[in-house]
Amino acid sequence: MLDLDDELMERYQKGDESAFTLLVRRHQQPLINFIARFINDRDNAEDLAQETFIRMFKAAHRYEPGRAHFKTWMYHIAKNLCKNEIRNRERRDKYRVDNVVNSGSDGNNQTEEIDLIANTPANSGFQPEVELERKELRNAIQKAIAELPEQYRLPLVLRDLQGLSYDEISEVLELRSGTTKSRINRARLMLKDKLKPFI
Amino acid sequence: MNCLQAEEQFSAHFEDTLDYETLQGLEEHLAACETCQQEYARFQESVKVVQQLPQIEPSPYFMPTLLQRIAEEQGGIDGVKGSTTTGWKQLLNLFRRPVWAFSGILALILAVTGTYLYQDGFLFDRDTDSTVVTSESQKVQVATSPVVTQRAGGNGSQRLPGGVIPRSVRPMQQHYVLKQVSYTNASTRGGL
Repeated sequence: MLDLDDELMERYQKGDESAFTLLVRRHQQPLINFIARFINDRDNAEDLAQETFIRMFKAAHRYEPGRAHFKTWMYHIAKNLCKNEIRNRERRDKYRVDNVVNSGSDGNNQTEEIDLIANTPANSGFQPEVELERKELRNAIQKAIAELPEQYRLPLVLRDLQGLSYDEISEVLELRSGTTKSRINRARLMLKDKLKPFI
Repeated sequence: MNCLQAEEQFSAHFEDTLDYETLQGLEEHLAACETCQQEYARFQESVKVVQQLPQIEPSPYFMPTLLQRIAEEQGGIDGVKGSTTTGWKQLLNLFRRPVWAFSGILALILAVTGTYLYQDGFLFDRDTDSTVVTSESQKVQVATSPVVTQRAGGNGSQRLPGGVIPRSVRPMQQHYVLKQVSYTNASTRGGL
């Protein structure tokens, strides 16, 4: 029994080009979220997400529905692109502070602010101080995630932000299940210590 | 179970995947250790706040840009599929081979040619006409090796086609000619 992603891939392989567009629409947000949280850069996240989809598009004819999993394939490609990006960024030593996902002036925060305002009823007890605290906490969390070593950050983002199962994470990272579990636990413990002042 | 062992089970306990025995051990430890109780409470809280981070939305330009790029890629792929690889294109495709392949082929050609030429004496033993000045200071055009060969061996039938002499016959004669030339050309600077 094929899941929807595999079915769409099969349809695309048979010539239905709209099937791939549908796949992109289904996965664009989780993919951008994953990349942005992992590399801590929203602008580059979109570029890398596009590159991921282009690579998948080019290799789509080699995909075997039922054997591989579309989602893990997608994250696997994205992970490699992210690692290259991080390596290049370190080499250039040009951290783009302006585009840090949760910095005070980036588009994401603007989006979050807009969401918050949109979701707040006009007459409810909207408390700016509480929202400010939440925003500070979100910034602190993103900063704490960004400070984690790559080998712990990657499984943590896939598990706690993308909601992948341990098996899927092991497949993406090409790790044994035990290693994946232990890294996620370690990452969570590190995060707990980093967030101590806020929790 | 000690504190370190308890810490290792935090995630599994949080996700409710512990087996009965480990669960019992952890629960007993948490009941007895106040530090671990606090740490586990903070652990749970931090995992929850991380999981509640909002999703980042794609910009409105993401999809149109991507679709445009896909269309470009599609055009490229179709172009490649539709093209026929005949005639000069096939020739051009030859040059798309890796450099090492070309180097290998070139080295092989050079090796084969070199061996062939060496065996035939084209590289080192080809005889050339030279001018020898005799002791009587007369210029004589001499075809050095062949002439000497005839003098020494007296057997002109050992020549190969093209006037080349088999290598096995010539070393001594060639040496002789060289000595003769060097002797006749040597400047004594009035010393002798």
